[in-house]
Amino acid sequence: MAHIEEKPFLFRLKREWPAYLYLLPMLVVLLLLTIYPISLTFYYSLTFNGPLPAPGIPPNTYVGLRNYNIIGTSDLPLTETLIMNSFFWATASIVIFIAVGLGLAAILNQPLRGKTVYRTLLLFPWAMPAFITILTWSNMLNFNFGIINAILGLFSIPPVQWTTGGFWAVWGGLLLMNTWLSFPYYMVVFLAAMQSIPKDLYESAEIDGASILYRFTHITVPYIGSTVGFVALMGWLFTFNNFYPIYLVTAGGPGNLTSIFVVRVFQEAFERSHYSLAATYTVIDFIIMLFVAIPAIKYTRLSEGWFK
Amino acid sequence: MKLPSFFGSRRKRLKSRIVSRILSHFALIVATLFALFPIYFIFWTSILKIQLAAISLSSLIPNLALITLYNYNYVLSDPTFFTIYLKNSLIFGLSAAGVGLVLALFTGYALSRFTFPGRKPFIYFIIALMQFPGTMLVIPYFFMFKELNLINTYLGLIIPYSAGSIVFTGILVKNYIDSIPEDLEEAALVDGETKTGAFTKVIIPLIKPILGLGVLLAFIGPYTDFILARAFITGNSLQTLALRLYSVSSISSSGGAAIDYGVFSAFSFLMGIPILIIYLIFQKYIISGLTLGGVKG
Repeated sequence: MAHIEEKPFLFRLKREWPAYLYLLPMLVVLLLLTIYPISLTFYYSLTFNGPLPAPGIPPNTYVGLRNYNIIGTSDLPLTETLIMNSFFWATASIVIFIAVGLGLAAILNQPLRGKTVYRTLLLFPWAMPAFITILTWSNMLNFNFGIINAILGLFSIPPVQWTTGGFWAVWGGLLLMNTWLSFPYYMVVFLAAMQSIPKDLYESAEIDGASILYRFTHITVPYIGSTVGFVALMGWLFTFNNFYPIYLVTAGGPGNLTSIFVVRVFQEAFERSHYSLAATYTVIDFIIMLFVAIPAIKYTRLSEGWFK
Repeated sequence: MKLPSFFGSRRKRLKSRIVSRILSHFALIVATLFALFPIYFIFWTSILKIQLAAISLSSLIPNLALITLYNYNYVLSDPTFFTIYLKNSLIFGLSAAGVGLVLALFTGYALSRFTFPGRKPFIYFIIALMQFPGTMLVIPYFFMFKELNLINTYLGLIIPYSAGSIVFTGILVKNYIDSIPEDLEEAALVDGETKTGAFTKVIIPLIKPILGLGVLLAFIGPYTDFILARAFITGNSLQTLALRLYSVSSISSSGGAAIDYGVFSAFSFLMGIPILIIYLIFQKYIISGLTLGGVKG
């Protein structure tokens, strides 16, 4: 289609105008339900709307950068915690997803008896609605009655405080659950990518005596690298703001140990009615997302498909 | 001279192949147990006579003597399960999936088959907007819909739910249409079809796989939504399954003595049935849609 893009503007307009008709509903939705609310959020971040009107400030008044000042000075430790936690949560999750997904896809990509059965069964966690399974995991991770501590007891491992313990216990529990929720998707996508690699490449490599590892690093990785990169980027961006796993299991606790932006924003707004502070954190989060997403999309070839 | 060594290496290779096959099965069995255990756990506890405090590993072993339908009876004997919770969740899920999918269809077609002026900046703009955390839109929505008196109304929830999936499904549809050769539509045009005719008669039948995935995703979002529902629904009449499940689960984890874990599990299973039905209807399309949508990227 590239040749049309080089034609003069009017020629293209005359030929391609029906596209605007098809896009009209989407444009209306974007304008009213995305662009306008996002602008409102920016505006709220410049007003005061909190539980306790600060002395001399009536609610909903324009206060300039006051909220940004607050989260950059008196709330600074919390802001830093939110940034670090969100980065840690997204990065650790994606590393595990990719490792598990690639490993299982590589295993399923060889001739093996019953592999369609395995594939179907392994897809189950993905097919279940996350909201339900996260609540189930939350119960399974319960310290006193949770079945996971019971299973650990079978191996004489003392019960772990999954939601109230230290760094590794709580993040470990969350990452274990998040892996369960997401690995099927990564596995299926990687498997499909691997199946598009010509079989004879592997056959000739095997005849030449190449090891499994060598075949993986020299044939599989170059072929599916861009798929993995794209899925990893999208997964990272999604996980950075994935609300339910943390809100429903730890609600950001204990203390602020697992607090990430989305969870904090929801709590500020709907549990403490501190709307302007919530809006300010939202803006910070949005800016971080843009800083990661735009260069990644622009300077890599990861998303060429979108522009074709 | 050469024959024995060749024979030996072949034997060695056969041996290593058997070892790797055993390891593969072992890894897959471990992964499958991990994947299925929580699902088995919900299912089994939903038909179990025992209360959560008494759940031990041994009570997880299937045993006919322990089976009861008490939990299902308990959930279903309350008529509000159907008349309020299920009804509302279905209204939200189905209307959002319907509206959202039609919008996504038009969007995906326009982005895939037209090179209109401004196409590239528009796609960049959408990608930038997508980075705004959707969860957090609930704050401006809350004030906007309050202004319009739409808080605690069906319309006030259906509108944001329909909009919620449109960008994502729009891109899914676009990627999928990209993979269909344009010759097919050109052939239809030569046969005297209009461009709209080519769209409805050629494209729509071909993109069923991605529509199947789109329906499932666009339905599950609103059907299991907690965030918007929690913020917008104040009265009793609009309560949804997700809100109810959340309160059932928090009763069971905070109560200690009065834990009714089986009820939670039974409720979960019942709530999952409509999703299962959609999944089964579109199953063929969903698996191929999932892989195609992902690989294209």
